[in-house]
Amino acid sequence: MKTRRTIIMILTLCVALSFTACTGKGDVGKADSSSVSEGTEKTEDLQAKLDDLYQQENEIFEKHKDVWEKVFSKMSKADAGSDNYAEYLASTVESNKNSFTDDELKTLKEDIETIRGIEEQITEVDNKLDTSGASDSKDDDTIAFNNVSGKDFDGNDVEENLFSKNAVTVMNFWFTGCKPCVAELSKLNELNDAIKSMGGEVVGVNTDTFDGKEATIKEAKKILESQGAKYRNFALDANSDAGKYASEIMAFPTTILVDRKGNIVGEPMVGGIDNQENYDTLMKRIKSVIEADSANK
Amino acid sequence: MDKKTSLISKKIASLRGGIQAAATLLTNIHLPNLFKGKIYQGNAKTVCVPGLNCYSCPAATGACPIGAFQAVVGSSQFKFTYYITGFFILLGVMLGRFICGFLCPFGWFQDLLHKIPGKKFSTEKLRLLRYLKYMILFVFVIFLPIFITNSIGMGDPFFCKYICPQGVLEGAIPLSLGNTAIRSALGKLFSFKLIILIMVILLSILFYRPFCKWICPLGAIYSLFNKISFLSIKVEDDKCVGCHQCTKVCKMDVDVIKSPNHPECIRCGACMKACPKDAIHYQFIKFNDK
Repeated sequence: MKTRRTIIMILTLCVALSFTACTGKGDVGKADSSSVSEGTEKTEDLQAKLDDLYQQENEIFEKHKDVWEKVFSKMSKADAGSDNYAEYLASTVESNKNSFTDDELKTLKEDIETIRGIEEQITEVDNKLDTSGASDSKDDDTIAFNNVSGKDFDGNDVEENLFSKNAVTVMNFWFTGCKPCVAELSKLNELNDAIKSMGGEVVGVNTDTFDGKEATIKEAKKILESQGAKYRNFALDANSDAGKYASEIMAFPTTILVDRKGNIVGEPMVGGIDNQENYDTLMKRIKSVIEADSANK
Repeated sequence: MDKKTSLISKKIASLRGGIQAAATLLTNIHLPNLFKGKIYQGNAKTVCVPGLNCYSCPAATGACPIGAFQAVVGSSQFKFTYYITGFFILLGVMLGRFICGFLCPFGWFQDLLHKIPGKKFSTEKLRLLRYLKYMILFVFVIFLPIFITNSIGMGDPFFCKYICPQGVLEGAIPLSLGNTAIRSALGKLFSFKLIILIMVILLSILFYRPFCKWICPLGAIYSLFNKISFLSIKVEDDKCVGCHQCTKVCKMDVDVIKSPNHPECIRCGACMKACPKDAIHYQFIKFNDK
C-alpha cells in the first residue's frame, strides 16, 4: 500500500517537473520570434533537414580530410565569384590541378559530385525556408555592431572598417581567468590561419580588458603568447555596441560570426573549438557566410 | 531564565520553515532574471552567501562559498584564498551547522522533498557514508583544483564541474531554459550531472537530507566548528529524565544527550520540540554554565 503511494508521488513529481520544463521552453519560443504559429514546426523541420545536409557535407570533408585541407588552403577570394558551392570547389581544384596526385583528383571529383547533389537539395530547402517566412522573423532579431571602439593590445585604435574588410569576422569573447577559453586559444589561431585566405579573420575580445586597463592587458597578452595565439585581440570600450553585447554573455567562451555589414549571423556558439565537433560546425558556418557574401556581390 | 531560553529555542525551531524560505529568497533575490536567463553580476556578487547557493543561478544575490573557494585556488594568480577561508571560519565559529538547518537553500529543498508522503528509511546503518563528505571536501574542493592544472597554472572547480547538483538545479536548468546559446551547448557533462540531481531528489524523498549527510563539502566545513561555535545546543542535565525522545526524533542520527553538538547536528531543533521536560535549548556563547 505504502509503496503504491510512493510510486504515485514520484510520478506526480515527474509530471510536475516535466510541466515546468515545457512552460520554460514555451517562454523561450515566444521570446525568439513574435509569431508562434503552425508554420514554426515546419520551419524547424526544414532547419533540421538543412543541418542534416550540412552534416553530410562535413562528413565528406572529414572522410578525405588530408586532401580537402589541401584544397581549403588553396582557396582564394578571387575564385569566390560563383554562388554555387560545388562549382566553387571544382574551380579551386581545377586551378590547382598540379598540386594533387591523380588519385587525389579522382576522390575530389567524386566528392564534388556528391556535394553538388547535396547543394541542390540545400538550395531547394533554402527556397522553401524563404517562402515560409522564417527569414522575415530572423531579420527582426539581427543585431548589428555599428561601433566597435577600442584599442588592440598594441595600443592601436580598432579601425572603423573592421568588419567590411572581410567576408566574415569570427569574434571570440573570453576572459583571462577562464580555463576553457584559454584552452581553445591555439585552435583559434589555427582557425585564423585557415580562413585568412578565404576572406575571414578571427579577433579576440577579452572582457577583462574593457576600457583598456593596462595590467589586465599585460596579463592577457602573456596568456596569448603562452598559447601561441597571434591573431588580434581587442580591449574594447565597455559602452561600444560590442562591449554592451559582451556584458550580456552568460557563458564563456562565446564565439559569434559577423558579416561584412557588421550584422551578427546566426546564434552565438557557446563552448570551445578545441572540441573537434564545435570546430567543424563553426568552420561550416564560416564557409556559408563567405558563400553568402560572394553571392551578394 | 531557563524557561525563557527554552521558549525562545522552541519558537526558533518552529519558525524554521519560514526562516529557510526567507533565507532562500534573500540569497536569490533577482527573481525576474530567472525568466531572462541572465545572471546578476553586480557588486554583491563579490560577497559569499552562507549556504550552498550557485553563483550561476540567474537570481543569486551573492557567490557560493564552495564555488568561490575553488575558483580562487584554481586560478593561475592565487595559490590559496584567505578571504573565503576566513569567511568559513567566521561563520563556522558563529553558527556552525545552524547554517545547514536554517539558511541553506539546498537543505531546504531536501527538507521539502522529504515531506512528500511515502515510505521513509532510516540512515542510521549508513553512518560510514558520513565520512564521504570530508573526502569530497579534501579531494574535489581543495586538492584537485590546486594541483591538477594546465601549463599556466589554471585548475578546474572540480566539485562544481563534476558533482554539485545545486549547480544543475539553480544554474544549468534555468540558464539553459532562458538562453538558447547555452541550451545548445549542453552535452554529456550536463546529462551526467542531471542524473546526480535526479538521484539526490529521489534519495531525499526516501531518506532525510542525504546530500547534507554524505556529500556536501560545505556542511563538512561547518561541521568541524559545531563543537566550538558560539551558538550551541545545551541539554540541562538536572532536567533530563533520560527518556531519549530527542534521539528518537533526530533525523541526523545524533545521540542528543551524549553529544548535543555532534558534527552531524544541523541544529534543526526537532529534539527541543520533542523534549517533554524542555531540557534542551539553544545557547549563545555561554560555554560552561555551571
